[in-house]
Amino acid sequence: MSNINVNTSEFNSVQFERMSTDQCEKIHWASLEMLERYGVKLHDQQAIDLLRQGGADVDGNLVYVKSGMVEKAFTTVPKRVVLYNRHAEPVMPLEGRRSFYGPGSDTLNLIDHRTGERRKPVLNDVREGIILCDALPNIDFVMSMILPSDVDQTIADTFQMEVMLNNTIKPIIAVTYDLPGLIDSVEMAEAVMGGVDALRRHPILSCYINVVSGLNHNAEALQKLLYLSGKGLPSIYIPSTTAGTSSPITPAGAVALDNAGVLLGLVLSQLNREGAPYIMPGMPPAPMDMRTMNAPYAYPVRGIFQAMAQMYKLPAFGLGGASDAKIVDQQAAAEAALTLLAESMVGGNIIHDVGYLESGLGYSFELLAICDDIIGWIGAFMKGVDVSDDALALEIIKKAGHQGSYLATEHTRKHFKSEWYPALFERDNYSTWETKGSKTLLQRARERVEKILTQHQPEALPQDVQAQIRSIVERRMETSKV
Amino acid sequence: MELKKIYQNIIEADVEAVENGVKAALAGGIDAGVILNEALIAAMDEVGRRFEAGDFFVPEMLVSARAMQAGLNLLKPHLAATGVKAAGKVAIGTVKGDLHDIGKNLVAMMLEGAGFEIIDLGVDVSAETFVDAVRKGANLIGMSALLTTTMSNMGATIEALKAAGLRDKVKVMIGGAPVTEEFARSIGADAFAPDASSATRLARQLT
Repeated sequence: MSNINVNTSEFNSVQFERMSTDQCEKIHWASLEMLERYGVKLHDQQAIDLLRQGGADVDGNLVYVKSGMVEKAFTTVPKRVVLYNRHAEPVMPLEGRRSFYGPGSDTLNLIDHRTGERRKPVLNDVREGIILCDALPNIDFVMSMILPSDVDQTIADTFQMEVMLNNTIKPIIAVTYDLPGLIDSVEMAEAVMGGVDALRRHPILSCYINVVSGLNHNAEALQKLLYLSGKGLPSIYIPSTTAGTSSPITPAGAVALDNAGVLLGLVLSQLNREGAPYIMPGMPPAPMDMRTMNAPYAYPVRGIFQAMAQMYKLPAFGLGGASDAKIVDQQAAAEAALTLLAESMVGGNIIHDVGYLESGLGYSFELLAICDDIIGWIGAFMKGVDVSDDALALEIIKKAGHQGSYLATEHTRKHFKSEWYPALFERDNYSTWETKGSKTLLQRARERVEKILTQHQPEALPQDVQAQIRSIVERRMETSKV
Repeated sequence: MELKKIYQNIIEADVEAVENGVKAALAGGIDAGVILNEALIAAMDEVGRRFEAGDFFVPEMLVSARAMQAGLNLLKPHLAATGVKAAGKVAIGTVKGDLHDIGKNLVAMMLEGAGFEIIDLGVDVSAETFVDAVRKGANLIGMSALLTTTMSNMGATIEALKAAGLRDKVKVMIGGAPVTEEFARSIGADAFAPDASSATRLARQLT
């Protein structure tokens, strides 16, 4: 029989909406009001001049951006941005609600997985962390993870970039201290991809640019945005207030304020070069913890900026797999899982800070490995439900009869591998678990990390490319001495 | 009775009531020093206690400190006339290159609430400016940094104090997110304060 159906639809994933379009538009209008009437303070003359030429009113370093300028920028900015790996494969298509995961950058402390000790990281730790990211199947991109204490602190970003390029083929999100650091990072990536145009066609690199606040843009942030957009490379432009201190404590107000800065950055990037890829924040400003004055990472107010990004159809930079716990304990595992699930459900595109502890001050490779399992679980949870005849298996059920033995059927053999299997989460019975050494999740994570570090060989760059990268590092060391 | 009301109104952060209370107390002939110690400082001590117990959050502590300052402003001329001394003179600022001042401002308010005289040097403060403040009579320096790249400037200030021959004239207390006890020891600071409340306690011990 032909078995034709009309008007059927299927969900290919879990469905979730954080905010209605009406709610998002109200926030958008509030941001426009700030842009037009309050103005934005910019600490870079080139940026001010560009905006003036683009139609903004300027009073000193205060810039008033009109709604029409924002509308125009939305007509030229790409709605889809793709990050590539070293082999120019489109491994991170940032489109719609597809999520990709990776670590954060520059933590001051590392919990040494070999000793359990919390200590200052060194450059070799960055190398090991990147090798781990290169090997973990659910980690899609890398960031520098930790701040090495054994190199000149003012140019640590350049050392980190060299280590990242040498030890992974995955896309890189750099966080550089200043414009020279960014230029070095971009030139190194150009060396890897084979030149300026090659990197633009297949960007393996983006840069996470921190902006003081939506209404106050620091010089380095503006310079980095102009540099990257000028080259046609993707910028991740993130105004970063803390709700309750540098923006209103109410999430809508905090997001509206920082979103004014997002729109300003968007206009600036498009005035500088039409079509320049632009990535906005997905995580809303953290609400300050008024007991400790620490800005938490695992806060539950999530998905607001992400909903704005979906309305704008811009890729967004989210935050998950991070904890405010000090060590990898029950809190760390719970917060990592909750934030990863929440960010994935709201459709964050680039979910960073996986493996963070201590509200962004600490790192744990074990937590990163645990998160790799959690991301696998989420991926399986988010999948749609197959209701085809084969999946409903009516014939198989009939055949199995009322005793219902399915274990040895061809149908089971064909489908069981599409179920998710954990690498670390324990499913043995008690006595088997005991026989295997009664290991906790943390111990198993530690063993997986160590196993990867002893066995995984990242693909090396050609010698001449390595040498080119080294010469850029050396150039930086020379100029920093002066 | 008037003192008890001022005390209560500082805890409840009612600026107007605190001002009226201080005016009434002065008019009633209560000594300015007594009002300061038994109402203002006592109230801020209680605020600090509640904060450490987790009953008060920072915004509540801040508005109480503001109410206390309103009362203190009215008292100041009388305190000067009667020769009441501050608990100490604190020069406070974020170090060279660092503009992050939320924590610094909070510490300044809490110290003022504890009876210290505050010289707020603001943000991006050079070693020379700190040294100048010591020359002008500060007996405690409070330095704060949020960035790892600016932290080292704390050590530079201490070196500048040594070079100026003033290191033994002043105590140095430091704080900020990346700062640790170990770092404080390594640069030769006298104390590391992890939060505003302990900064007040340490300042009392140091001066």
